[in-house]
Amino acid sequence: MRRQIPLLLTFLTGVAIIISFFIPHKPFNEVQDMLLDWTIIIAGFAMLLGIYSLLNKHITHIKRKDAGWGYSIILTSFFIGVFIVGIISAVRYKGYSLSPGSSLYYVYDYMVIPLSATMFSLLAFFIASAAYRAFRANKLNATLLLVAAVIVMLGRVPVVENAFFRFLTRFSDWFMFIPQMAAKRGIQIGVALGMFAMSLRIILGIERTYLQ
Amino acid sequence: MNILLVFLFLIQQTPDSLPVDTAQVTEIVRPAPPTNVIAKDTPNDAGGSISVEWDISADDGKGLKNVNLYNVYKSKTEEGKFDYVGTVGAARTSYDDQSVEKDNKGYYYIVKAQTKEGVESEPSNISSGKSQAQWFHHGRWAYLILGVIFTLFFVLYIRMAKGKKLFIRKIAGLDAVEDAVGRSTEMGRPVLFVPGIGLLSDIATIAALTILGKVAKKTAEYETRVIMPNYDPLVMSAAQEVVKQSYTEAGRPDSFNEKDIFYLTQDQFGYAAGVDGIMLREKPGAIFLQGIFYAEALILAETGHSVGAIQIAGTDRVTQLPFFISACDYTLIGEEMFAASSYLSRDPIMMGSIKGEDASKLVLIIVIMVGTVLGILGGLHLGLFENWFSNLINWFARG
Amino acid sequence: MKERKGLIFGSVILIVVFIIMFIKGEPSKNIMVWIAAILTLSIYSFLYKDNVFYKFAEHLFVGVSVGYSVSVVWQNAFIRRVFDPLFITRTYIVDGKFSLYLFLAIVIPTLLGMLMVSIFTKKHGWLIRIPIAFVVGSYAGMGIAPSFQAYIFEQTQSTLYVTLSISSFIMIVGVITTLVYFFFSKEHKGFLGKTAGVGIWFIMVAFGASFGYTVMARISLLIGRMNFLLHDWLGVIK
Repeated sequence: MRRQIPLLLTFLTGVAIIISFFIPHKPFNEVQDMLLDWTIIIAGFAMLLGIYSLLNKHITHIKRKDAGWGYSIILTSFFIGVFIVGIISAVRYKGYSLSPGSSLYYVYDYMVIPLSATMFSLLAFFIASAAYRAFRANKLNATLLLVAAVIVMLGRVPVVENAFFRFLTRFSDWFMFIPQMAAKRGIQIGVALGMFAMSLRIILGIERTYLQ
Repeated sequence: MNILLVFLFLIQQTPDSLPVDTAQVTEIVRPAPPTNVIAKDTPNDAGGSISVEWDISADDGKGLKNVNLYNVYKSKTEEGKFDYVGTVGAARTSYDDQSVEKDNKGYYYIVKAQTKEGVESEPSNISSGKSQAQWFHHGRWAYLILGVIFTLFFVLYIRMAKGKKLFIRKIAGLDAVEDAVGRSTEMGRPVLFVPGIGLLSDIATIAALTILGKVAKKTAEYETRVIMPNYDPLVMSAAQEVVKQSYTEAGRPDSFNEKDIFYLTQDQFGYAAGVDGIMLREKPGAIFLQGIFYAEALILAETGHSVGAIQIAGTDRVTQLPFFISACDYTLIGEEMFAASSYLSRDPIMMGSIKGEDASKLVLIIVIMVGTVLGILGGLHLGLFENWFSNLINWFARG
Repeated sequence: MKERKGLIFGSVILIVVFIIMFIKGEPSKNIMVWIAAILTLSIYSFLYKDNVFYKFAEHLFVGVSVGYSVSVVWQNAFIRRVFDPLFITRTYIVDGKFSLYLFLAIVIPTLLGMLMVSIFTKKHGWLIRIPIAFVVGSYAGMGIAPSFQAYIFEQTQSTLYVTLSISSFIMIVGVITTLVYFFFSKEHKGFLGKTAGVGIWFIMVAFGASFGYTVMARISLLIGRMNFLLHDWLGVIK
């Protein structure tokens, strides 16, 4: 029983959405949007569990004075701080705390964005170290990968303005357009079929791991 | 003196001094109206829309060449007042009126051509149409047919699979799971499982959870810790259930530590920063990067490599696969990840579904080969093949 | 001990930065820019080694982003979709009449969501599977059609646009061999094995091209941050 009901629900919702894809008539055309809205509401409740998990973990660290408990204090206090700012913004803007100009928006602009952008920019360093390692590897596959990478890289940013680099730019454009596209297509068709099979398994209840 | 004469001459030319009977009479030339106006129900919708089609005016692109737009007008009665509803540009021959108030009621439409100066043509013929909601989307036949064929393969092979041993080719990344956990245990270090920044709505995340189930079984057997930071609380809840079940099945329900499967943050780079910190501090022996990843994929993979862990990655994001391949020991490419649950469990029903996938792939390969042959023959301008070829392409274009 | 080394290293860098700033630049007067700059440098210190500054910035980042995400999610889920329609705009009252359909459309998901909290009870913990099943079922259904449309149909159609040229030939060979690589039912031996081998070459080449393509984009991100530090913060670049 405890297993049956969820599986039945999965089946019904899956089938409802698939059917509504083929029927434009009311009310079927609204089914997908409505169910999407519902999943967003459910995600809101799931957030409660997430907050509980986070606070539980870090407050336990603080209580037991585990290694690095000072950082847990930092995390918890900043969380509570921004949370309060969020509430204040929500009260001021009648629930829509992220209106431009609100304090929460300010926090986002001056803390979240710079931190995210910096993490993002770390990729410049990591891409170099990944390429360096691929260069030293002996495997055929890694070599193919690297050679293709160098061709496209040099083609995108011609280092010197001469005939060879002009050819390279055109070649790398062709390269991106034909062989790269061919493999990408093959992978994507495979992925789509895999997703289809997996969705079918989930709807039919064959794939059950996530419901343990 | 000459200057005076020239000046007087010039004054004579100014418009004010022109006699009235030579004033210019600009004749207003109206463009020809569009013809053959037909109003009908917009197909494949929920009603509330009528499509109006017409042939272009004789002065659109030819003749007087002064047509700039077409204006569409609607009325509730044949002789009644026609109200403006919309406009399309020159050379266009249709307009969808979505402001229809009631279905199954006749409305009357006329179309007028208009020049750049705003001069409209005479009205076209009147056409009436009704809107209706359709019960079936006729543009989506192709999906239904292909979907049914693939599902049939699926069901067929599942039936054939019962009782038979089906073969599935080697997937290196999945074979390495046991070794990775074993190595971690020998080094006395925990296993880190990163489910990516997908939500439970992504199939790849669910595939990651099935892999998690198998990994958790191994860590339960070897009594190694499995740490899992989560991006989405719903995924966290599902993951906690999965791991708890695996530990129970392995006979070690008490070793299950719920605090090791926790929520981190729902911010892409905040998550990356947090996971990096965990990698540096916990120093896992094996790292699983399974699920949906975006730009932060390389950050995670490189950091994991730097702590000396064996890394098994898997994602369907084609843009991130190159980075995983260059930084990880094993990578499951796209579909290989979805095959994981069948591969690791060797369950006959699941294996049957893999065979169904393969059959569908074969169908597509054959279609491409047939299409290629037709295309080549059509390219050689052998009429019949050209037809078949364009029909084939159009069939795939529907919907 | 290592922590102390990191502290010394970081402090040295900060001192150097201060010196540069005083000599050459016009540092920003905005305290928030200063905070953003310090956080930026702390994250970059990660490249050297795990250290106090990075740990601080990381925990701050996680704390702030969770606080922020909570506001966003609760605004989207509760305010916009439950509280507002239920109590403020009352969308379920159409022309003065109470519409059960619209009312349930708000109440049912709220109840489903509340089931999530059942995990905290010992006896009824299994109820959490219901909203999970609902979400998974919905998205399993929703994923099928778009993936068919975007991947299977569009990709096959584009591949079918064949012309008599080498490019087309390579495209066809590439797509077919890649599909063969993903063939699971048979052992990759003999002719099948060779075809699959060609497929994996195509895949590696494609990944390499993709890799090279992104390099420039990533480097420009770094340039962006350097610009922030040197221009917005220190004013060393005008």
